[in-house]
Amino acid sequence: MISIDKYAYRSKLKAVDPMQKVVFALLTLGVCLWADDLIISVAVIFIMGGMTVLKGGTPLRFFIKLMLVPMSFLFIGVLTVAVKMSQRPEGFLASIAVGGAWIGFSYTGLSEALSLFLKALGAVSCLYFLSLSTPVMDLLAALRRLGLPKLLVELMGLVYRFIFVLIDTADTIYNAQNCRLGYSSLTTGYRSLGSLVSVLFIRAYRRSDELYTALESRGYEGEFNVLEETYVSHRTGYVLAITVNALLVLFAVILRQIKGGALW
Amino acid sequence: MSGNILEARDLHYRYNDGTHALKGVTVEIKRGKTTAFLGGNGAGKSTLFLSLNGIFKPTAGEVLFKGLPLDYSRKGLKDLRKSVGIVFQDPDNQLFSASVYQDISFGAVNMKLPEEEVRRRVKAAMERTGISHLKDKPTHCLSFGQKKRVAIAGVLVMEPEVLMLDEPTAGLDPIGVSEIMKLIREIQKELGLSVVFSTHDIDIVPLYCDYVYVMDQGRIMLEGTPKEVFSQKEILRSVNLRLPRIGHLMEILREKDGFELDETAVTISEARREFKHWRDTQKK
Repeated sequence: MISIDKYAYRSKLKAVDPMQKVVFALLTLGVCLWADDLIISVAVIFIMGGMTVLKGGTPLRFFIKLMLVPMSFLFIGVLTVAVKMSQRPEGFLASIAVGGAWIGFSYTGLSEALSLFLKALGAVSCLYFLSLSTPVMDLLAALRRLGLPKLLVELMGLVYRFIFVLIDTADTIYNAQNCRLGYSSLTTGYRSLGSLVSVLFIRAYRRSDELYTALESRGYEGEFNVLEETYVSHRTGYVLAITVNALLVLFAVILRQIKGGALW
Repeated sequence: MSGNILEARDLHYRYNDGTHALKGVTVEIKRGKTTAFLGGNGAGKSTLFLSLNGIFKPTAGEVLFKGLPLDYSRKGLKDLRKSVGIVFQDPDNQLFSASVYQDISFGAVNMKLPEEEVRRRVKAAMERTGISHLKDKPTHCLSFGQKKRVAIAGVLVMEPEVLMLDEPTAGLDPIGVSEIMKLIREIQKELGLSVVFSTHDIDIVPLYCDYVYVMDQGRIMLEGTPKEVFSQKEILRSVNLRLPRIGHLMEILREKDGFELDETAVTISEARREFKHWRDTQKK
């Protein structure tokens, strides 16, 4: 999570208006889910990967590593789609007989599973593009402009700001305990962890109190009124988002025509 | 109009848990000067600061801003906080936003200034504190000293008349200390602010302030110019403080080693002057 944050701040796409990136990512995500097509899904993965790596400058290795994160969930999830049960052995590529029925992989099951798998990866790649090119604060600015409740956005901002302070504090306490053999055995480990959590809670509580005092002295009246930085906003971002997605939609429609399926 | 921008008269403050943190504190903050509050931990410096800013309402006694008692109504406090800004000791308690730019703009936006004016002030405050290059960095990637500067900028955007800093040098390395103190002095000179800071770093006091209050256990023990205060070494030592290192050296040289020196020299430049003078008298 923290390395995603670092890459987002380093991304060459950081200066782009976050709204454009949100529109681009969500539109493409929508098209990917709607198209429900193997080729479109692969295309989306490549477009998003390409944008992140080539335009944003995120290392390819890191992007691939991130794409591998949801793999285990996906495999298990997709397995239930791929495995089919039937009364007859026909239609299975491989099957085993269990009692009076056959369980195995069929061609349709496998292709369904594959397209689901790629669709999910395509969707994930859209979100990775967004999170690897847009720091959280910029994303929150876009969400605010999209009309999300102010309170929610402010809370997200505070959580994001103080999660790092919290991790830092927990780290310091952990090290201090570890230096005094606080984690040398399982029982002392549990005891140390317990006191770590309670101390952390007390510290967080006190810090919130102090933060409130500091905010008050700067004229806080219940709302975080701040100015956001201005972005260089060219229309090109939106144009790109619409063009790419129009092409994807067109392509998807053509693919459906070829397969002879229904248009919608 | 009096020369005091802020005054406290016989101020008492008792916390909810019964701690009597201020026991009759009377201070006068001179307009356009730098005033230091020197005291050990728990001397009541932070409590006094929060009382001067109207965050704490004194149990007894009163605080005067520009000769008038503080108005603790919502509007009165708002006006006061526009004029009296506090920079807290731990910047992590002050910076609420992960975006440096947003955090600095907060105070100015709360003053309901037009956007153009806020942007101008944020830019000016960042330039003044030397953090323009940090504007795109998230708060959690900054060093302690950088966070401190952001915190100062966040108060400067309100263009206060009084800048109060609680332990501005705590947690900084030696270079960081002299940089931040130079910055504060620069701000004070250029903007004509009244600066108030608390510290237990004795050596910076004679270098950077015009007037000193020494606090101990909720009381003012000594006050005066640094020279006056540091000539009262017995009282200083009785409240767990000491002379500046140079002052101590001068005292030892005079009392134990028989040098005929003026022992009130407490800074390097004062000591140099003293020694040059001594050399010249020896030659004659």
